[in-house]
Amino acid sequence: MSELIMSLTWGTLYYATPLTLAAMGGVLSEKAGVVNIALEGFILSGAFAGVCAADVTSKYGVIISGLVGILAAIMIGAVLGFLHAFLTQKTRMDHVVSGLGINLLASGATQYLYLHEYPQGLSVTGIPRWMFLVAALVLPFAVQLLLVRTHWGLKLRAVGESREGASMAGVSALPVRFAAVTLSGVLAALGGAYLSLADDHNFSTDVSAGKGYIALAAVIFGKWNPLGAAGGALFFGFFYALQTELQIRHISAHFLGISWTNSFLLDMLPYIMTIVALTSVIGKAVPPADLGKEEATD
Amino acid sequence: MTANTANRGSQNDSQRAIIRSILRPVGAVTVGLLLVAVFIGASGYNVPQAFSALFIGATGLQLVPFKVNMFPLAQSLAQTAPLLFTGAAIAFALRAGLFNIGAQGQMVGGALATAVVGAWEPSLYSPLHIALCLVAGGIAGGLVGALAGLLKAYRHVHEVLSTIMLNYILADAADYLVTNGLKEHNSMAPQTIKIAHTAYLSPFVSGSGLNAGLLLAVAAAIAVALQIKYTALGFRIRAVGENPDAASASGINVPHVLTTTMFISGFLAGLAGAVLVLGLEHRYIKGMTGTYGFDGISVALLGGASSVGVSIAALFFGGLTSGAGYMSLQTNVPDSIAVVVQAAVVLFAGARALPWRRRQNHTLKTNAATIAGAGGDAAGE
Repeated sequence: MSELIMSLTWGTLYYATPLTLAAMGGVLSEKAGVVNIALEGFILSGAFAGVCAADVTSKYGVIISGLVGILAAIMIGAVLGFLHAFLTQKTRMDHVVSGLGINLLASGATQYLYLHEYPQGLSVTGIPRWMFLVAALVLPFAVQLLLVRTHWGLKLRAVGESREGASMAGVSALPVRFAAVTLSGVLAALGGAYLSLADDHNFSTDVSAGKGYIALAAVIFGKWNPLGAAGGALFFGFFYALQTELQIRHISAHFLGISWTNSFLLDMLPYIMTIVALTSVIGKAVPPADLGKEEATD
Repeated sequence: MTANTANRGSQNDSQRAIIRSILRPVGAVTVGLLLVAVFIGASGYNVPQAFSALFIGATGLQLVPFKVNMFPLAQSLAQTAPLLFTGAAIAFALRAGLFNIGAQGQMVGGALATAVVGAWEPSLYSPLHIALCLVAGGIAGGLVGALAGLLKAYRHVHEVLSTIMLNYILADAADYLVTNGLKEHNSMAPQTIKIAHTAYLSPFVSGSGLNAGLLLAVAAAIAVALQIKYTALGFRIRAVGENPDAASASGINVPHVLTTTMFISGFLAGLAGAVLVLGLEHRYIKGMTGTYGFDGISVALLGGASSVGVSIAALFFGGLTSGAGYMSLQTNVPDSIAVVVQAAVVLFAGARALPWRRRQNHTLKTNAATIAGAGGDAAGE
């Protein structure tokens, strides 16, 4: 029994790791007032760039290749995050459309490049998982401190709540939003690098498998608060871990003709919980007031 | 005098708007195809060869020597049918200012319901059975859509978030059902039993997936366009899309309009699933709905608000999908390149297709009357 609890705990932590990383990106971006469904695309691109760079540099040893992999993921995340910021802030594109476009671009480009460059698949030594776990454990507190204790965090929350109000107080929204969304790209891409470099040690075209949307769900579930979002990620991670354990141990429970331990049904839970959280039945989930609003650019 | 200038200004505006509404999608598609050329060229494929394969696969037209191949053309048109349904579904919801990302889940619901009703064998008169299946599929999709509408109308849950979640919920629920309760008993595959022959939509070109589903999709697209334009509900939908606060102030029951719009939108998406079951697979198979629901977003954003635009966009993406498959067979270029074109189209044409964006554009014009109106408008946002 204690062994089951141990493996459930570790499973939860590791499943929650990429969700937490991406969710912190989501918190930063949405707190600054930019809707971010592009997290999915950031994760996928980070996963591919990381594993690709690690593969190219694999002849220089494990440490170098791991580092280069991480750097590549950070870079692609920054580029795509910047793109999302640019499209939503400078061209005033609808935030959801921009996110969808970036997700499509990430999906099409990584799939194309993977099939073309690695028709036989690839495998890398990668990075130990615990490094990402440590990052995921520290990051929510760091983001919380950043938002609550620093001047920049105050500015970020201000432009997310009311861009006009912030601008009247002399805070220009654009630099803050660009930085926040770019950073969100970096963090989500790191979540992707975890999936490819530390977890799978290879790449598959559906490696993100909706984790960006789940991370977004964790953000909402945690009411746009970094610690709450991390809690949401742990909560959703727990259901993944539970699925795995139930499957490995062949545990099943039938009741009223429905197999409640079925992996498809367990998989549904995070999504149902998110909708329930959004309906404000259990406590109110209030998004930043200026989230997704578009005003004329400066 | 001022009124005159304002009038002339708005006339120029509407002309410019029409030109823009043609140029923008064409530009977006061109950029997308150029991007593909760069991708293919950079990875060492023969670009003209790949593009000619893409063209032949999409249109069935071989230029030298001139020949029309019916099969690829039929396949492209077959791909068009579900895309037109989902595209029209999303474009319809956009008229009320709703961004229905959930066509995928609504389509899954529709396909599953169709498979269940189709498998029912009371030896009905065939057209009646088909109609029954279509209605079942539509209603199932509509209910999924209406759920998102209700959440938006009464609990202020943003439809983008609820429909993303509903997509996953529906996919999981369908996967559960076809591996458990609805699974064909003597088969290992995750699929339902075959539907009755009376419910088959038979192919126009043998072996292809082209069937009456395409005609139904065109009819549906025209029907919703007429409904939007000429009915009272259509007027209310447009009013809510233009400005929900003003609509509410003038006595329109906004929650009711939002829910109804999402039901109709989901109904159309459900029909996409229905024609896939009736015309193609003749049963529900896990994963059979592909990504038509998501692709419908690109169709709606490229096609804009008009049914003609959406039809052309569906035709384009149908040809692209089927052409990319052919190109991949002929030249080994991975067919995921079609997704890159989609991305380019969404990023270049997408934003401006949305009604609230159009309105904002309009208000930015240097026109005294509009500017005066724009103040209240911006505050409403």
